[in-house]
Amino acid sequence: MSARHWFRHFAVRGVFWRRYLDFGQTDVPFYLRAIMMVTWTTFFFFFAAPARRALLSNLAVILPGSSRLTNYARAWLTLFNFAWTISDAADHKIARTEFAYAVEGGENLERLAAGPGAILLTAHMGSYDLGAALFADRYHRELRMVRAPEADEKTAEHVDASLAQATAGAVKVAYNTAGMALPFDLLNALRAGEIVSILGDRATAGISARETRLFGEVVKLPDGPFTLALVAQVPIYPVFVLRTSFHHYKIIAGEPFYCRRTEASRDAAIDAALAIWCRKLEEVIRPNWAQWFSLVPLFPAA
Amino acid sequence: MKRESGYWFALPRLCARLAGQKVRRAEWSRCEAYGLGGLVFGIGCVFLGRALGTVVRPWPGRALCLLLTPIAIWLACLLVYFVNWLLATLLRRLGLYSRRTNKPLQSFVIIALVTLLAALLVRDESGWLRSLGIFWLGLVGLNLGAELIEKTA
Repeated sequence: MSARHWFRHFAVRGVFWRRYLDFGQTDVPFYLRAIMMVTWTTFFFFFAAPARRALLSNLAVILPGSSRLTNYARAWLTLFNFAWTISDAADHKIARTEFAYAVEGGENLERLAAGPGAILLTAHMGSYDLGAALFADRYHRELRMVRAPEADEKTAEHVDASLAQATAGAVKVAYNTAGMALPFDLLNALRAGEIVSILGDRATAGISARETRLFGEVVKLPDGPFTLALVAQVPIYPVFVLRTSFHHYKIIAGEPFYCRRTEASRDAAIDAALAIWCRKLEEVIRPNWAQWFSLVPLFPAA
Repeated sequence: MKRESGYWFALPRLCARLAGQKVRRAEWSRCEAYGLGGLVFGIGCVFLGRALGTVVRPWPGRALCLLLTPIAIWLACLLVYFVNWLLATLLRRLGLYSRRTNKPLQSFVIIALVTLLAALLVRDESGWLRSLGIFWLGLVGLNLGAELIEKTA
């Protein structure tokens, strides 16, 4: 292994930090974790500059009129929450630690669990990994989770193994790449009655996306979930898992909506569904800005 | 929704039960997570700061020590975790430790170390340092008492 390759393990998205996190879960008593969180959040606040800049640019749009200094403090708080949520997900995986959680819109979650195929549309908010594990555990339903591929190969292997361990195989991960096989796999899964969980607040390179308005700004968001819902004729459930305090979470399950082709064109149906999703995102992100872990800039003009 | 409260330590659990709450052993308490952590870290910092204060006399040096003390304690914590991890690995190999994680062993060693520091603080001339030491020893004693009551009740 070359020295350069070895040093990649220590990059912000490298596998070293994931392993360090696992060590923290097995060896650091819970009452000493807050000190580690504060220190490491501060470290990454300075050294993960692209993520910090992305948070600042997103915050400038979500909370217009705020001073830059205030937004720096908010960016730190967002990274602090991010640290807690990835730590909690690892804690659940390794130590099977129990978390207290409240459900808002429980009837929607029951419908999602009891019904046939559906799309669970979520965002990079709170702990979606932990949320998936809690859902699979509570309802004994398998979940297919679509996520962006990890930049580091070893990190990807580690994340896959972690999720499989946390959910006893109930959550299968599918990577959102530019290939053609995934949409067909997901369509088959939906038609077979499975639940497909997709992150709908970030369009990665090579993924089908279309322009829409979020917080009054023009952004590009993935349209794949809506195309799938249109073709498979399944409902879309907006679900968010937010961290409320130490080891406490809140699951927000919104009313399902459909992407149905009526008299209007297919594009118009997708645009309409995307607009509904954007309003839901705004509704949840605005009061919970400290938990929107969009670590890449979403608003190009900001 | 899980409405019951959860505490890891026996003392708050017993207090909550006496107050009529439904309570269980769980890592759900913000007070334990932040308060106890701050106390453990704080006692470490105070002890090291006090020790350095007796050695370093000039004020600029003391100010520098004050700044470096939390960093030194943080690094010392990492060292303690690592040494305890080695100890746990050894005990596992010998078949003397079989818990899912090393946290119980880590917790035992850390609480024992802080109790030792607190006992040394009790002997200090300074009133508030002595009070801090007594406060910690009191908490440990009450917690052990509460643990005993829980087991016998």
